[in-house]
Amino acid sequence: MKEVAFFAGAIGALGGAIAVIGLRNPFYSVLALIVHLVSLAGLFLLLQAEFIAAAQIVVYAGAVMVLYVFVAAYVGNVDEPLWEPIPGQRFLAPLLGVALFTEIGIAIVGSGLKAIDSEGPTVKLGFGSPEQIGKLLLERFLVAFEAASLLLLIAAVGAVVLAVRREDENAGESAG
Amino acid sequence: MTFTAPQIDYAGLSPIITLTAGVVIVLMVGLLPRAGRWTCSVLTLGVLGTAAGLAIWQWGEHTDLVAGTLRLDELGLAALLIALFAAAVTVILSVREPAAEGAGHGAFYALLLGSVLGMAILSMSQNLVSFFIGLELLSIPLYVLCGSAVRREASLEAGLKYLIIGSVGSATLLYGFALIYGTAGSTDYNEIAQGIRNGGLADDTLILIGTAMAATGLAFKISIAPFHQWTPDVYQGAPTPVTSFMAVATKTVAFIASIRLFELALGPVEASWDGALAVLAVISIAVGNIGALGQDSIKRLLGYSGIAQAGYILSGLVVFDEFGVEAIIFYLAAYALMNLAVFVPLVARERETPFADDIRSVEGLGGSRPLLAWPMTIGLLGLAGIPGTVGFMGKLFLIEAAVGGHFTWIGVAIVVGSMVSLAYYLRVIAAIWMRPEPAGAGAPAIAGASPEAPESNSAPGSTHGGDSSASRPGSTHGGDSSASRPGSTHGGDSSASRPGSPGGSRCWLIVGVGMLCAAATIFFGIDPSPLVDWAANAGQSFDPFAG
Repeated sequence: MKEVAFFAGAIGALGGAIAVIGLRNPFYSVLALIVHLVSLAGLFLLLQAEFIAAAQIVVYAGAVMVLYVFVAAYVGNVDEPLWEPIPGQRFLAPLLGVALFTEIGIAIVGSGLKAIDSEGPTVKLGFGSPEQIGKLLLERFLVAFEAASLLLLIAAVGAVVLAVRREDENAGESAG
Repeated sequence: MTFTAPQIDYAGLSPIITLTAGVVIVLMVGLLPRAGRWTCSVLTLGVLGTAAGLAIWQWGEHTDLVAGTLRLDELGLAALLIALFAAAVTVILSVREPAAEGAGHGAFYALLLGSVLGMAILSMSQNLVSFFIGLELLSIPLYVLCGSAVRREASLEAGLKYLIIGSVGSATLLYGFALIYGTAGSTDYNEIAQGIRNGGLADDTLILIGTAMAATGLAFKISIAPFHQWTPDVYQGAPTPVTSFMAVATKTVAFIASIRLFELALGPVEASWDGALAVLAVISIAVGNIGALGQDSIKRLLGYSGIAQAGYILSGLVVFDEFGVEAIIFYLAAYALMNLAVFVPLVARERETPFADDIRSVEGLGGSRPLLAWPMTIGLLGLAGIPGTVGFMGKLFLIEAAVGGHFTWIGVAIVVGSMVSLAYYLRVIAAIWMRPEPAGAGAPAIAGASPEAPESNSAPGSTHGGDSSASRPGSTHGGDSSASRPGSTHGGDSSASRPGSPGGSRCWLIVGVGMLCAAATIFFGIDPSPLVDWAANAGQSFDPFAG
């Protein structure tokens, strides 16, 4: 069962990632990215990281992707080439890609894959579970938690300060 | 899993709670239809004063707050008090600041208070999580404040630059924290130190990489060379009151937070970081002092001078003992006084002359406005470290700490750096006292289109509105001024404070603050013992060196 779930998630993640760069229509690319992120969330679940899986879906597959969809809807339909061709890019890009792949491959093989048969790090029971994170946020990191919410307020105020339409905007524009 | 509510010491948290409430109240009051510039600024000063009073009340308490994420001791309170003082001066300087006018005074001061709140959390934090949240809460309002003069391109550029560089610094820091947490197994400073000691991890690669990345991230914030490139541009572009706040408060709090992080959590790996930080200190001293030499803009000059001063202060961290911590606290307090004594007249002068922050704006100041010239002169002499000012005592303690900690070569670097620094500090002083006032210095003129020009005449506290129109002969071409040169939008605010004009005391508040800082600079230079006791008190409350 575990293996089936793993391969389903892995195929979804890889397929989604390839589709993101393979598809011509940016809107489909965004949808493929959602497939990729949801598959990753499945893999996190398999690792018993429920909180990260939920955050992955809520934050990335949800909020961030909605932004992407908006952007794609605004600018996606333009008949411009999606990339700005850099001279020599077609030659350089695969070269750098292969180099990066080799480097990471060497790094992985160099570690001897020692951890592959082990049970992973020993952590306390329930480590990283949603209950424990919630408990930490309300106990130990109460101040940090409250400060983070205030940070959002401050950021919103800051955005308004920078973006608000001034009364004398026309004068400013004619001068600048 | 049972939930036990954490023990919350409301008395210990009271400065933080006050600031939080202050953010919300000032923001709301700023939205009231009849809230003027004075309502919000007086309210903000009240909040800052209350927080300072509560901090003094809590002076002498030593406890962990909220399950150990925050530490209440004199070290954090000392940083908080310096930050509150700098913020109060900034509020006074911002009353007529066009950027605050444009942003809305409520929002402007709410952002300022938010930054101070971040500083309070950062200076007290004893945990990687609260450290990072505090740092972000400190930085994000500052990014906005830097760019708040939206009609000036330089200000927007400064905001954007600070945002990008600051984010790079924060990301580096966070990556370092992740590595430290992953290796030591805790986010709590004491537990990190214990984890490193128990696990024999002092030479562990991950800990060392984490330490290096955390140091890099903090160096961006403190503007230690070679991570300083943003500093002169941002200092110059930001509205001057914001620059003075950034220069003083951010540096103070970031240094105090670094003291806790490096000497408590990363104390066991001290042998690995002290050499690297010592080299950074010397590089900063060299880069800052040499970079400042050719600057015509006083704000850029102060930016480079701040880099050099950060190098001096860093030497107190490197020596890793109690004297180093005390020397840092003493110097940070001295630095706040001296720097504000320079910035306050600069703000006044920037609004009076069309030269913005160029050195020409202070030429002939000694003859025409001695009340502004003296604070600036004393502040600059203090920054240079002339005997008789608090800057001299501060440098003396830093050098003493460096020599005592077997880093004599940093002491030598401080002395050489101070000698070089005289070249550019004295250049400004010479311009103040020995040059004639340049033509047109008193006629800011080109601010006819300035948004607050009509308003400033009727503002409360302005007793001489009629004067300003008389001394503004060139205002006919004001329409295109707002983007033509930085600072020109300030002009309309200022013309009335010409020497000899009947109401020349218009900026009495600004002059008073400048004189206060300068007087303190001299007072503590002649009799440093109160400040020494204060710093020693704060330094002794933090003692991780025994283990």
